[in-house]
Amino acid sequence: MGSLLVYILLIMLMAALPSPAHAADPKPQITVGTQEVGLSAGYLLPHRLTQDHTTKQQGVAFMPSWMITLTDPIGNSWYRGQVSLGAEMVYIQFQEPFVTHGVGFAPKIKYTFVALDRIRPYAEFAGGPFWTDLAGKIPEESSQFNFVLMAGLGVSYFLTDQTALNIGYRFNHISNAGTQYPNLGLNASLPYGGFSFFF
Amino acid sequence: MMGQAFSRPMIGSVLAMTVGLGTGCSHWIEMATPIDTTPPAYATVAADARVPLLLETIRVTQNGSSIAPPAILERQVLGAIEATRLFSQHYQSGYTQPVPGEARVTVRLSIDNLVEPHAGQAAWRGFLVGASMFTLAPVISLNYDFGAQMSLEMERWDGQIKRYTATSNGSTHYHLFGANPEIIEQLKGQVTEACLSSLLNQVIQDSTFYLASNEQPRGNPIRTVSVGVRHSPSRAVPVSRPLTDASPR
Repeated sequence: MGSLLVYILLIMLMAALPSPAHAADPKPQITVGTQEVGLSAGYLLPHRLTQDHTTKQQGVAFMPSWMITLTDPIGNSWYRGQVSLGAEMVYIQFQEPFVTHGVGFAPKIKYTFVALDRIRPYAEFAGGPFWTDLAGKIPEESSQFNFVLMAGLGVSYFLTDQTALNIGYRFNHISNAGTQYPNLGLNASLPYGGFSFFF
Repeated sequence: MMGQAFSRPMIGSVLAMTVGLGTGCSHWIEMATPIDTTPPAYATVAADARVPLLLETIRVTQNGSSIAPPAILERQVLGAIEATRLFSQHYQSGYTQPVPGEARVTVRLSIDNLVEPHAGQAAWRGFLVGASMFTLAPVISLNYDFGAQMSLEMERWDGQIKRYTATSNGSTHYHLFGANPEIIEQLKGQVTEACLSSLLNQVIQDSTFYLASNEQPRGNPIRTVSVGVRHSPSRAVPVSRPLTDASPR
């Protein structure tokens, strides 16, 4: 399984490197106003950062998203990239410690590095309101109304000029901003994969 | 009863969404400088005195870096020159060439484009719009500036050269939901068109210089043709329309 992943990554890297054939290909032209819709799915894995954190919450997450490109590529070096803004819905079905649900809406800002043509790493940050019925059943959170903050890194591989596969990692934090106590917060890692369509 | 209970909040919500989305999707274009400093020039020339034109080179730079001229730009330039009707035939370097030794005018065009996308401002304002959960989208506008400076060199068959220059600038302002690649293309198209019109207007004023016989037709010429710059009807600004109603590419 591991060697297959390495093999796939190598093929993607070779496809992205400049070659006589590739040089003639139009690279994906993402300009100001280009919109992106996507769907990602991942699995939430818990982090108990203090001794007071006892809950091992985990479960699947689905994240449909929409973004709009705000800038043309900035810079002329490896950091050349562009900023996009959008929002995503977050749905988490917690499997542990109880089967419960969480749903949120998070405006999101993303910086995409464009120096590698078809392989485009990105950094993203999102945050917004989040409702979950897991709260109240665990010692860390008391209110069902919370906020979710997500920060992460990922990479897009453009299969065509309009379609990209994405894989990434996010750190996920859920808490209620002190509106009710206890409010220790839930922290988790969220590795995910998905695809985007640009138009 | 049901209608009364829901009417006010419903109407208020619908109105707020309509106004918010309508304003948030708007965009408009402003041309920063007067498009033409000279009035449109027209002339009547003898059709038989016209000579062929060869568009030899188009050199384009963007923010100081050379770029390959887009094919659509070459067609736009040749089309604009052709529309003046000042030349009998129009050739482009790399395609069919005029007969060697025949009197002709050779054209070299240099275009320096200046693009200012205000990337930092867009990123910062975008962050504010996102942080406000998009409620500020209708009131925070984003900007994109584009300018063009064109130098046209026209060489007559006897080696005499005339040079013309023109400059044009424009800005597009848009709200987040009105951001669209087409509005940037519209801005570039309008600025390029304005600059090209200004250049060709100057050429028309020198129209006799490009005729095989440098004399204006007098009396009853055998055949004459009116020459002048044909302005595109797409000059109208500002533009404000929702995203879904954008003009075709």
